[in-house]
Amino acid sequence: MNPRPDMIEFQDVHKYYGDYHALRGITATIKAGEFFSLLGPSGCGKTTLLRTIAGFEGISSGAVMIDGKNMAGVPANVRPTNMVFQSYAIFPHLTVEQNVGFGLRKDPMSKDQKARAVAEALEMVGLKGYGARAAHALSGGQRQRVALARALILKPKVLLLDEPLSALDKKMREQMQVELIRLQRQVGITFILVTHDQEEALVMSDRIAVMFEGEIAQLADPETLYRRPNSKKVADFIGTMNFLPARIVSEAGGMVEVEAQGFGAMTLTTEQCAAAGADKAGAMVGFRPETLTILFDGQTATDRETMGTVAEVVYYGDMTYYDVKLDGTEVPMRLSMRNVFGRPVLDLGTRTRIAWSPGALVLFR
Amino acid sequence: MSQNGFLNRFRGSEAASGLAMISPTAVYAVLMLAGPLTAVLLYSILTKGASGIEWNFTLANYAEVWSSPIYRSIMLRSLTVSFSVTVVTVVVAYPIAYFVSFHVAPSRKSIWLFLITIPFWTSYLIRVFLWKVILGYNGVFSSGLEGLGITDGPMSFMTNATGAMIVTLAHAYAPFAILPIFVALEKIDRSFLEAGQDLGETRLRTFWRVTLPLSMSGVIAAVLIVFIPTIGDYVTPDLIGSGKFPMIANVIEVQLLKLDNKALGSALAVSAMFIVAVVSVIFLLLNRRFLGAAK
Repeated sequence: MNPRPDMIEFQDVHKYYGDYHALRGITATIKAGEFFSLLGPSGCGKTTLLRTIAGFEGISSGAVMIDGKNMAGVPANVRPTNMVFQSYAIFPHLTVEQNVGFGLRKDPMSKDQKARAVAEALEMVGLKGYGARAAHALSGGQRQRVALARALILKPKVLLLDEPLSALDKKMREQMQVELIRLQRQVGITFILVTHDQEEALVMSDRIAVMFEGEIAQLADPETLYRRPNSKKVADFIGTMNFLPARIVSEAGGMVEVEAQGFGAMTLTTEQCAAAGADKAGAMVGFRPETLTILFDGQTATDRETMGTVAEVVYYGDMTYYDVKLDGTEVPMRLSMRNVFGRPVLDLGTRTRIAWSPGALVLFR
Repeated sequence: MSQNGFLNRFRGSEAASGLAMISPTAVYAVLMLAGPLTAVLLYSILTKGASGIEWNFTLANYAEVWSSPIYRSIMLRSLTVSFSVTVVTVVVAYPIAYFVSFHVAPSRKSIWLFLITIPFWTSYLIRVFLWKVILGYNGVFSSGLEGLGITDGPMSFMTNATGAMIVTLAHAYAPFAILPIFVALEKIDRSFLEAGQDLGETRLRTFWRVTLPLSMSGVIAAVLIVFIPTIGDYVTPDLIGSGKFPMIANVIEVQLLKLDNKALGSALAVSAMFIVAVVSVIFLLLNRRFLGAAK
């Protein structure tokens, strides 16, 4: 496959609101046809960044390029972007059809062609036959679909989605996630999603930019973000990460000798070291809940083994979360185990063997 | 027994406590509104006798009201003045309401509304007299134009009594138009405006296609609030037009109080009420689309 061309380019973008520094030097590139997410806690500047693409928000310095063109001074109504608003912004005085066809006014298509385009757009988002309905009679999920159809019918180069799923209930949200992915593959347009839900970002995106306080902390694909977060902050924000204090003994030739509480001495590669986010409190090793395995009778560890005591059991049906205090540590670590039919859930206080592997650890320093 | 049981149940019910709460207002409404209205309706189909009203039911009063060219022309003048006042007031009020809603910082909005209503703490009579001073012979307006060299010699702008009445009434009803329009504009989610621009429309086009239709409920409210009272106004024609250009209310006053023709006066009042009601219903129907959408 040919390398995708760049669709959006942020060049050292800064944004001030009075004294408040909302965007602090954003430099990033978003590829054409990519499903890209801006992920971060509220107030991190992710929505502001999205709005600088749409043209609703000016920037204080730097440049925003869309498809190679600098967008400075280009108003929102002529930018090749369309937005799905958090509130959906479905015009309440218009019907579904009129909403979807809103942006077609200046289009040279004939009336019939427009009507057909609207019907096709509605069918694409699964709202066939809803055209004549009044906008205010729609449910949340339907509004969302109308908003999508209204934006996609204009065939923008970039579709901007501002927390589009946050108002939906869990079931609906999961369904819409899958539909959005399908839709993005179908139309091939660059999607940029703003979300504070890390799971949503992981599920949907090709690449994710994690933002904190107006800066991009890490920009990577979901797997890298999950397995190799580059700072404790990113690790904490995405999924669950357990931390144990560690001491770096020596470092040479791409290998790091580490002495970690509960695990003992081990050798890690420098690739396992988080580059950014130097923590003054000393080094830490971190691991995801599913990378440690509780060993049941008859099972043996493929790599290393340690002992622990079950301090808490949280049963989820398909999964059980165990908080296990490893020998030689003070704080229980969270482990997740897939439940297997016929195998009992462990009781509180059970002594258990635990398998682990240095390769699954991340070193933060 | 069963009656007692019903009464006891009624006393404890929510309906009873509701009725008890609205009863002072209800009594007031019946005495001061429904009562007089019934009397007027009744008078309008009775006959004027030598010494007051006689109990002869007739439609002759209505026949006179609807066939007389004098009453017709006065009714037409009332409607013209009211329509003009309504149009002028709403057209002037809309930009003010828009400005306060969209361009004033949220923390300052209430002080702006407060300032807008301040002139209307003055008695209406005083404001009418002030307009006389401004528009009258050798008044503020006249000498201003003279000072600028646009006109020579003092003149009066009161000779066009209809115009002067429109100016006075439009000024008087401005806040009643500004407030409902402001409220309607405040309710518009600002993301609608961004959506309009995002979908390729300029700010002006977005105003035309989104803001204006969404604020139509406020405009209609403003239209009714201005139109209905102005058509019944009789102070302004008396003071500004010196009684030479009566509106329908002045004619009703003359018939009821000066000529003591309660029957004809009542028929006039009922007819005027009917016309206003019809016009109002037409307004509402014309804009039902917008009102329905404002939900």
